[in-house]
Amino acid sequence: MQSNKSKRSININLKGMRKGFSVKPLALGIAAICLTACGDQQKATVYTDVSDCTNDNPDAATQCEAAYQQALQEAERTGPKYNSQSDCEAEFGYNQCNQVQNSSGSFFMPFMAGYMLSNLLSPRGYYSQPMFTSYSRYSPYRNRWIGADGYDFGDYRRRTMNVSESALKPKPTVSRTIKRGGFGSSVRAKSSWGSSSKKGGWGG
Amino acid sequence: MLRVNINERSNWRRKAEEYGFKFHTMHGEPYWDESAYYQFTLKQIEQDLETPTEDIHQMCLHVVDKVVNDQALLEKFQIPDTFWEQIRDSWKQQAPSLYSRLDFTYHGTGPAKLYENNADTPTSLYESGFWQWLWLQEHVDAGNIAKQADQFNSLQEKLVHRLAAIAKHYDVTHMHFACCQDTDEDRGTVQYLQDCARESGLLNDFVFMEDIGLSECGSFSDLANNKIQTLFKLYPWEFIQREEFGSAIETANVNWLEPIWKTVLSNKALMPMLWKMFPNHPNLLPSYFEDELSLATESKLVKKPIYSREGANVSVIENGKTVLQASGPYGEEGFIYQAYSALPQFTDNHTLIGSWLVDDKAAGISVREDKSSITQDMSRYLPHIIL
Repeated sequence: MQSNKSKRSININLKGMRKGFSVKPLALGIAAICLTACGDQQKATVYTDVSDCTNDNPDAATQCEAAYQQALQEAERTGPKYNSQSDCEAEFGYNQCNQVQNSSGSFFMPFMAGYMLSNLLSPRGYYSQPMFTSYSRYSPYRNRWIGADGYDFGDYRRRTMNVSESALKPKPTVSRTIKRGGFGSSVRAKSSWGSSSKKGGWGG
Repeated sequence: MLRVNINERSNWRRKAEEYGFKFHTMHGEPYWDESAYYQFTLKQIEQDLETPTEDIHQMCLHVVDKVVNDQALLEKFQIPDTFWEQIRDSWKQQAPSLYSRLDFTYHGTGPAKLYENNADTPTSLYESGFWQWLWLQEHVDAGNIAKQADQFNSLQEKLVHRLAAIAKHYDVTHMHFACCQDTDEDRGTVQYLQDCARESGLLNDFVFMEDIGLSECGSFSDLANNKIQTLFKLYPWEFIQREEFGSAIETANVNWLEPIWKTVLSNKALMPMLWKMFPNHPNLLPSYFEDELSLATESKLVKKPIYSREGANVSVIENGKTVLQASGPYGEEGFIYQAYSALPQFTDNHTLIGSWLVDDKAAGISVREDKSSITQDMSRYLPHIIL
């Protein structure tokens, strides 16, 4: 008990509680929330640019450069896209977006803030993918490493992390859903009982 | 503890629209009612509600520890035997819990008495954590309520911290959230938790329970075929355990919120169990299993189904005769009996206190009123202050 302290929440982000104003990106890449039901974890590092990568891997300057270019292309292909500059800046911060013209039209996209690399020196080849971050204080992405699909890889000060292998690959769906509708039968049964006072919740 | 009339904020319906509070009126009846508020003293809140809430929670955890290790009790709690091992494992691994709501009858003096523990799927969370907070804030700003007025309500702050801690525990950055189709109230509650998750820096996705899929590697999937790794479900464990996909739980490898050990607490068999383990505790009402009813010395008892929601199928029995009965679809798993203890009445309203826990910390209260002494799903929610 702390009688001399406020008993209620001190800070509530009212802006974040408003509904119907936040703009979702037009397109996110294919969601990557752990598509590998059965996959392995591996170490990956985020570099902010080519020299950052080369400093860390002096023998792999060529790979650093190639992976960077590859991530840039991937960023344009799969990164978040917005109709207007202001929508994009609302999420990623002032001056953090540029206009992109491609075969599907004209969009505003955040700049690539870094790229994630794994297995750089592996003979099987490396994995890379673009990373974004937000400078907007109203965004949940602020100071986080964000994948093209919106996946949050953690604090942007953290440079190495363990990620599932699939998080690094271009992402076809790995796990096939074989059946749906296995939940909800109790509710169907209890609803058919037909109480007039039922307001429709299954919590308490 | 007082009931004080106050003018409604003239623009509150527009605000509700703006903030996405869609279930303030249900079936044409008001649910959110700001024509009055309840006023408590700090001593009433801290001594009579906050401390007992945390104490009872600890007592409940003792019950879990006993029940998960005792086959006879697991049977008495009507828990399907295929889940005993999983429940025991989840308890032994201390799978983290998010929240609960204890319902009390409290008259402003004397000990609050525990009616039941909504440990698995408590609702009225948004109204409590956010909407009544905003109500007080705006009345204080407008000078209608004294500046020093406070509220027992740190729910939102605690939920945001707790969700972050749970994500850290499981080393995840994303959570799925689920409830059933066709219910604004449950959807609103789950959306609120998604908002809290976002505040704590988590990515989140929503899926209806009915839409959850089973993938070929045995995991659950959302509608986009993404694996469900961590799932908050506003859907009772006792339903899940009796449904088709219940048998897939063991191999689906989901981080569940609430964890499956909460099956033991969201069950009215908890009440006689608490009374056995902590007899004559001032915050408990004498309670009995059906086969021990002969032990009851009380002339007036409340009969509650082991599994039920929102007062359904509860009846009041006086000297062996049913004097009041609420209908409903529950009761097939049996009943428990609890000594009758009236709710306090303010004008012609019966008032029930819900006391929130986030993990093991008391986090605030909600006040609901009903015209009937059995609080049901048509009760109204009123805000409160501390002064």
